[in-house]
Amino acid sequence: MIEYLLLLLGESIMIFGTLGILRFPDVYTRLHAATKCDTGGAMSILIALAIASEASLLIKLKFLVLAFLIALINPMVSHAIARGAYKYGIKPKVVVDMYAWDNP
Amino acid sequence: MSRIPFYLRERLDEIRQRILFETYEAQKLPKWEQVVLTWIALFSFWIVISGNTQSENLFIGGIATLVISLFMYEMLTEDIRQTGHIVEKILYISLFVIPQYLFIMAFRLIESNFKVAKHAILMDINPGIIKIKTDLHSDTGITILANSITLTPGTLTLDVDKKLGETYLYVHWIDVETLNREVAGEKIKGDIEAWLKKIFW
Repeated sequence: MIEYLLLLLGESIMIFGTLGILRFPDVYTRLHAATKCDTGGAMSILIALAIASEASLLIKLKFLVLAFLIALINPMVSHAIARGAYKYGIKPKVVVDMYAWDNP
Repeated sequence: MSRIPFYLRERLDEIRQRILFETYEAQKLPKWEQVVLTWIALFSFWIVISGNTQSENLFIGGIATLVISLFMYEMLTEDIRQTGHIVEKILYISLFVIPQYLFIMAFRLIESNFKVAKHAILMDINPGIIKIKTDLHSDTGITILANSITLTPGTLTLDVDKKLGETYLYVHWIDVETLNREVAGEKIKGDIEAWLKKIFW
């Protein structure tokens, strides 16, 4: 029962993340939507698979290790993309930009 | 501070950095505790990854991870602050800190997903890049704090700036509520930093 709820949650998070990628104005706000796709969607689908699959306990633990690795790698990748885009010269559409005040 | 001559200010900065270094060196763990902590982390990872619990597999894994942890003991545990006995510390970290962190971060993750879905539907965004100050100094502590900030709702860490004795984080915030540094830091960091300061320097 609970695995269907988790699968539904993951699917809906994927759909809203895609909607966010299509509708948000610039790179940085789109990165928010893309990373939420990854953490929320993929991790809840993996936890649902770990509950539903009829395998031994160590194989279920490997699903949890995969979810942990996604949670570990995802912030690093989003930070690298955001900082690389800023250093390349893409201006963010923001109300206040304190990073540009300190690095003119 | 601004009326002090330049050479005096340079000397003051040097002394302050020296004090920081000395307190850091005094709070380091001894070497065998670092080796034991690294060995426990690597060996539990070995058991989960290899996936069989026969005795010869555990024996070979224990020997190999012990040899690795004898060489690489500084990588994981260099920044852990010294408090109490080692058994007490292992029990504290594995029974109290890690479950609390997982519990907090699971609820923050779900909250962040709903928040971004709401922003995507209603388009009421108000983005900005804010600079906040942290009290942590070690590399591992700052890394965990910055990654947790990226996972929490509506924020994305852009860069870290380390000046003398003070650390600043640049955070892209999707819905800027305040420009005050202290209030924004309270809202963004939450209670993660308070117990991260108990372990890391």
